[in-house]
Amino acid sequence: MYEDQFINEGGVILINKFTHQLLVAAGIIGFASIGAAQAAGPSASMLANTCNACHGPDGSTYGPASPSISGVNPEYLADTMEAYKSGARKSTIMGRIMKGYSTEEIQLIAKHFSKKPLVRRVQQMADGGQVDKGQELFRQYCDACHEKDGYSGEDYPALAGQPMPYIAYQIADFLSGERDIDANQAMSSKEKKKKKRNMMDLKDAEGDKGFEAVMNFLGSRK
Amino acid sequence: MNKMNRRKFLLASGGAAVLAGTLAMPRIARAAGGKVVIVGGGVGGATTARYLKIADPSIDVTLIEPKASYHTCFLSNEVIGGQRPLSGIEVSFQGLVNAGVKVVKDMASGIDPAAKTVSTKGGQKFSYDRCVVAPGISFTFDGVGGASDAMFDKIPHAWQAGPQTALLRKQLIAMDDGGVFCIVAPPNPFRCPPGPYERACLVAEYFKNNKPKSKVVIIDRKDKFSKQGLFTQAWERLYGFGTDKSLIEWRSAASTGTLEAISASDMTVETLSGGKEKFDVINFIPAQSSGKIAHMANLTDAKGWCPVDKTTFESKLHPGIHVLGDASVAAKMPKSGYAANSQGKVTAAAIVALLSGKTPGTPSYVNTCYSIAGKDYGFSVAAVYRYSAEGDVIGGVKGAGGLTPMDASAEDRKREVQYAYSWYDNIVRDTWG
Repeated sequence: MYEDQFINEGGVILINKFTHQLLVAAGIIGFASIGAAQAAGPSASMLANTCNACHGPDGSTYGPASPSISGVNPEYLADTMEAYKSGARKSTIMGRIMKGYSTEEIQLIAKHFSKKPLVRRVQQMADGGQVDKGQELFRQYCDACHEKDGYSGEDYPALAGQPMPYIAYQIADFLSGERDIDANQAMSSKEKKKKKRNMMDLKDAEGDKGFEAVMNFLGSRK
Repeated sequence: MNKMNRRKFLLASGGAAVLAGTLAMPRIARAAGGKVVIVGGGVGGATTARYLKIADPSIDVTLIEPKASYHTCFLSNEVIGGQRPLSGIEVSFQGLVNAGVKVVKDMASGIDPAAKTVSTKGGQKFSYDRCVVAPGISFTFDGVGGASDAMFDKIPHAWQAGPQTALLRKQLIAMDDGGVFCIVAPPNPFRCPPGPYERACLVAEYFKNNKPKSKVVIIDRKDKFSKQGLFTQAWERLYGFGTDKSLIEWRSAASTGTLEAISASDMTVETLSGGKEKFDVINFIPAQSSGKIAHMANLTDAKGWCPVDKTTFESKLHPGIHVLGDASVAAKMPKSGYAANSQGKVTAAAIVALLSGKTPGTPSYVNTCYSIAGKDYGFSVAAVYRYSAEGDVIGGVKGAGGLTPMDASAEDRKREVQYAYSWYDNIVRDTWG
């Protein structure tokens, strides 16, 4: 399988899948180098650095409201950008911005920020009196997906330390239906059912106060 | 190394080097080194400095700036309206120093493109491999009678933030209720196209809450302006625009005719059709061109702005010198803080490539600009740009960008204010560290 590792025909270098994986593993080539067409477009950092002025250096926000986009898994981030682009996810400005990027460029941007560590640097004043209650509710209703008290960004976005206004906006939009969980193509029908059930259960059991406590818990995380 | 023997591994590594060289991967490009001298510590200069250091710490970056700290023009309208203290728009250069940039407090007085040196008022001389000129704007009086630099102590421009911002705020505080405040808005092109109209909003908000008999009059030197539909709607909703109780009055250039003269001694603005009119406070925002050093270094065209290669921001008049931000001709990007930040990243990437003998990569640019029209009332414009060789323009990607919709909900307008503040806090750190 290694005999045809490099075939140089007319100056074109071909590499087989194994070698490509090896080079990726060694950090020698990245996402950007797959396909000659992409090499002619803007690089991942050229595309992604333009996001920093609103989302913070290397995608970690200083707040007060715009979210961090670093350290999250690239599939989730790409899905989110695609949902803004298509209009499936409500936004103020992101829909307008994401329409400027191709699917390939969105993949590059997602990959770029997924490799940047999430730095929780927003200076926010969480209500200390609500943190314990919020943690209890978070573990009961949210932690099954947003694991490790909301610190894990492995499968779902890491919520711990995100700006509290941003969390409040998302909760309000989920509850009003403006952010339509069913329109999220990245979630399985089982996940959608679970998310809707948990949010409604939390609302029924604790009302708005419950969500406020969860928001304060997440905002208190450093 | 089970099946893959050593010879093949070396072959693979060698191949990788060839591959990487072909695609000019920035991550493994060799350290370029070299000396870059940056003139101006505003958004364009500071962003370039910081992103040069991020891309390659071995580059020797010197930034020459006369001010000890910087006051951002963005959100300075909140200082004028009293919604934010002056200290709330002040930025230190310490973040750049921490990033390894040599910040020199001095004023650049000349650039020699042949000798590749920048000299300063303080008698210093700096040699460079690449020079970056980001001087912002200077003012031109284009036939307006009585206008002079000396006038600004009494009739502030407040279009370069700092003491001028504080002076205008002080005058508005001192003004009696029932007074009339005049903003003379500049002709195109100028720094921050929505700025004069946001300023009218935030001063009107101050009047509404504190001096309700007072009024803002905008004497415009244009017949239309940025975000006009959104501003007009906000004025109607918040400040009674269009009624006889309106806190804001806007006069187009067509309605007033030429701006004839401005007088600081009798506090009047004279227009062709309106004649001489007295105001209690006047904010004269003059016509503009590139910052002074760009003129002194012969980087400007006949219109007073700096023509550049729009993919690298290298001057078309003097190779080796890059000009970006408000001073450059970067059509169709506006002269905005976000545009200068975006251009700084493009310039830094181009310089890193050029210093190591490579061809600069394909640029991508963004502008995002928020305006705050009152409490919980914000809106925005955005664009994603690519360079188009046809027509030599930085053109907006079709179907993307644009304005906040006219029918946006009250909740969304409230959120846009919070996102505007987020824009501020993040762009400041992204630019100055």
